[in-house]
Amino acid sequence: MIAALMVLLPLAVALALPWAKRPAIHRPLAVLGVAATLALGVFATGGAGSLEIAWVPALGTWFAVDATGAGGVLARIAAAVMLPTVLWAGARVDDRPQVFLAWLLATLAGLVGIFLARDLVLFYVFWELTLLPALAMLAGWGLTHRRAATLKYLLYAVAGSFAMLISVLAVRPLSGAEGYRFDQLLAAAPLLDPLTQTWIFAGFAFAFAIKLPIFPLHAWLIDVHEQNHASGAADVAGTLYKVGGFGLFAWAMPLLPEGATALAPLGLALGAFTAIYAAMIATRHAHLKRALAYASLSHMGIVAVGLFSLHLAGQTGSMALLAAQMVTTGGMFLVSGMLHDRRGSFELEAFGGLARGAPALAAVTLVVLFASVGVPGLANFPGEFLALLGTYQSAPAAAVVAVLASIALGAFGVGLYQRLFQGEARERAQEIKPLEVAVFAPIVALTLWLGVAPAANLTVFEREAAAAQVAAAPITPPADAQASGGAR
Amino acid sequence: MSLPPEFGDLVVLLPVVTLIVFAALTLLFGVFTRERAALGGLALTGVIASLVFNVFLWLEARAGGVAVTALGGAFRGDPLSYAFSFVILVGAGLALVLADGHRKRLELDQPELHPLLLLAASGGLVLVSAGDLVTLLLGLEIMSLAVYVLAAWRERSRVSEEAGMKYFLLGAFASAVLVYGIALTFGATGRFDFAGIAVAAAAPGFESLGLLLLGALFVLIGLAFKVAFVPFHQWLPDVYTGAPTPVTAFMSVVVKTAAFGALLRTTGTLVEALGVGPIGEVLPAVLAVLIGLTMVVGNFGALLQSGVKRMLAYSAVAHAGYVGLAVLAGGHAGLQAASYYLLTYTFTSVAAFAVLLSLMDDDDRGDRIERLAGLGRRRPWLAGALAVVMLSLAGFPPFAGFIGKAVVFQAAIAAGHAALAVLGIATAVVAVVFYARVVMTMYMREPDAHTAAARPMSRRTTVVLSIGLVATVVFGLFPGLWLDWIARAPWWSAGF
Repeated sequence: MIAALMVLLPLAVALALPWAKRPAIHRPLAVLGVAATLALGVFATGGAGSLEIAWVPALGTWFAVDATGAGGVLARIAAAVMLPTVLWAGARVDDRPQVFLAWLLATLAGLVGIFLARDLVLFYVFWELTLLPALAMLAGWGLTHRRAATLKYLLYAVAGSFAMLISVLAVRPLSGAEGYRFDQLLAAAPLLDPLTQTWIFAGFAFAFAIKLPIFPLHAWLIDVHEQNHASGAADVAGTLYKVGGFGLFAWAMPLLPEGATALAPLGLALGAFTAIYAAMIATRHAHLKRALAYASLSHMGIVAVGLFSLHLAGQTGSMALLAAQMVTTGGMFLVSGMLHDRRGSFELEAFGGLARGAPALAAVTLVVLFASVGVPGLANFPGEFLALLGTYQSAPAAAVVAVLASIALGAFGVGLYQRLFQGEARERAQEIKPLEVAVFAPIVALTLWLGVAPAANLTVFEREAAAAQVAAAPITPPADAQASGGAR
Repeated sequence: MSLPPEFGDLVVLLPVVTLIVFAALTLLFGVFTRERAALGGLALTGVIASLVFNVFLWLEARAGGVAVTALGGAFRGDPLSYAFSFVILVGAGLALVLADGHRKRLELDQPELHPLLLLAASGGLVLVSAGDLVTLLLGLEIMSLAVYVLAAWRERSRVSEEAGMKYFLLGAFASAVLVYGIALTFGATGRFDFAGIAVAAAAPGFESLGLLLLGALFVLIGLAFKVAFVPFHQWLPDVYTGAPTPVTAFMSVVVKTAAFGALLRTTGTLVEALGVGPIGEVLPAVLAVLIGLTMVVGNFGALLQSGVKRMLAYSAVAHAGYVGLAVLAGGHAGLQAASYYLLTYTFTSVAAFAVLLSLMDDDDRGDRIERLAGLGRRRPWLAGALAVVMLSLAGFPPFAGFIGKAVVFQAAIAAGHAALAVLGIATAVVAVVFYARVVMTMYMREPDAHTAAARPMSRRTTVVLSIGLVATVVFGLFPGLWLDWIARAPWWSAGF
């Protein structure tokens, strides 16, 4: 029940926000909604929080949510990152802020739904639902060229999700599963013949590759980030919505192990290429948001490599990296909004020397940025390290390329910091403001927590990855069953 | 409560008879009174009464658990006829109120309007309840004749006259093809009734399989005209555009649902009668090709339109393709999927036309998409309503259109038509573009000279729109309301 409330509460707040007449209560209401969702998430770690009710018996789907697994961890982190985002957006968005905040809350509701759903159709419904706020924020609050970006995003997203829909609708009738609940599907889907599994997996993988995203299906991401509202709040929502890796980990790979094995080489190759290609572009890019988008694309390449390594450590690490980059990439997009406040531009040429006027801002940014590029002791490192380590065990070539990418990312981080904060300042930048401190506090705390004490989350991810691999192992009928069959 | 046996037969006709009686009443009162509003109320009462009888009979039949037939099997009360009659009557009621809301402005203010609408609906009920091919033809003609007149309603409007004429000529041609198919089928089997055809074809020593196939193909083509499968859809965009908008709404729900009910029953029977041999594979294959073409041409056609009404016309063709998937799947799953799809499409489509009616000029023209620019700011409620409708038509959750697509595609995949389902999904991506264009124009484009001020909604239009929207959301969130209801039907006579 608590898990269901985690979805319904932000949704209710999102529906209520546009009706709130007094502007003064918009931001507190939104912040409160997110905080309450986060609190529910913390309470829902015990198994008592889950819920299962039949939704459409004729279709075999359930309203089943559960917050104890990997999805629960991601849902909590998403809510935690949304907290500073709502705080920041409420202050920075001038045009109909209550509607913008409502869309942010709707994003959170959809994300929590994606992460907690234990029924494939329900998962799909939330997957699609979350697209609407993302599009609405881009279309309603984006920059000049938002029309083209919106249409591009819509086409990519819908092409992906409809491909997934076919797979969703095929997997139950073809496997003869009783229903769409994860455990019902897990009992039947892995027994499908390898070719069918490969086709169904391809449908899922197409959708997840678009949402990861990885090359060559990433073109929408860069434009979307460039055209989003200058505050960067919508970009954070977009970063949290990069749930392709989670979809592979929680649904496609456990249900269709043979399909995953068949397509793993392709996934590894594309993931490794994405990682190195995006990292190289990020280092050379002159537009702050586009550069950040490419850097995050590079992370996604590493996530994909780790997942498709089909190795326990690799998959565990990928999920940890996915969780960490929600915090660090999200944090960097918030930084981009703060920097835009100071210089009115995202072109890197406009920056430089900010550290002189704003040393505290520089220091905090340094923490988030370095966490993002995988400096040990900070958020991304444990996941990235494990992902690469696991990949090296099963696919050394892809691991080598991915390691090169992470080195390139390191160079990107140092270079970006130099171009933003060091060198000559044309004008004195304003030092960090109290609001910005409040926005940074949870981001930095999470960054440190995920970097210093990753064990708790890793255990959850590992448990789930291991369970999936056990289920995927070929089932040999016990000897006595064969004997009794022979006797008959 | 159970009915006395001597009425157990004719009572099935009650919904149809009610409609006809009320059609006669409205016609009669129309001569004596100028109070059109009262006539509208009378007509609506007839539709509601018919709906009540239909639901009552449905419940009764579920309790009893047997298919009821009347007039020696010519008229049937079974899950298909009750479900489709329900959808037809809901659609007819909504379209009727919509027409009443714009009666004066659109020159629909003549006494024939209500009787014709009621007669068309009664023809639809006969069509979906027909137990033999002759009754089917009868129902089709009752419905079509009324709609021909309705489509050509507007005097002094060349477009409307052209629409009526085109619809009449092509419709007559389609009927001729259908009659020929019926004759061939009779020649092959010696029977008109569906149950008899199946029995005759299954009898040992049946040799006229080829003739039966020919007859089946002609019957299929005759009905394909009515449901507007490509390439027999040519009339539809012009007729939808030319007819008065409330009539277009009526056609898009009532006529379409009725034709699909007939198609579901006919193809179900004929596919079974033709058996599983090489000859038996021809009919499903032809149907599959028609459906594939319909999905592709309908969606790409809609993509090219600059008028919203005409876009909705092509999108109606495209949706016919999706319902066609359910027909192809056949059986209980097909009935479930097709009826759900048509029920929700009825609500959504009527809501779309209700919004459109508030946006178009007084002379029922001017549906260019540019007129929607800036609607999101000027009329947030109207724009929000249209956005929900477009999202549902595009197949976004949590709206009913999504579940409709899901059940249809799942039925098709389960019946072994995965390739066609993939094609359907691919074309649905195209559909998202033209539906999204409407939404993006409302919210992302500034109003300019083309933009007309939307007129205030009449009370009737508001009611229709609200019902359509609420149903679109409720059936999207709780599709079990309909799907489980149909699924729990304890009986389904395969031989019809």
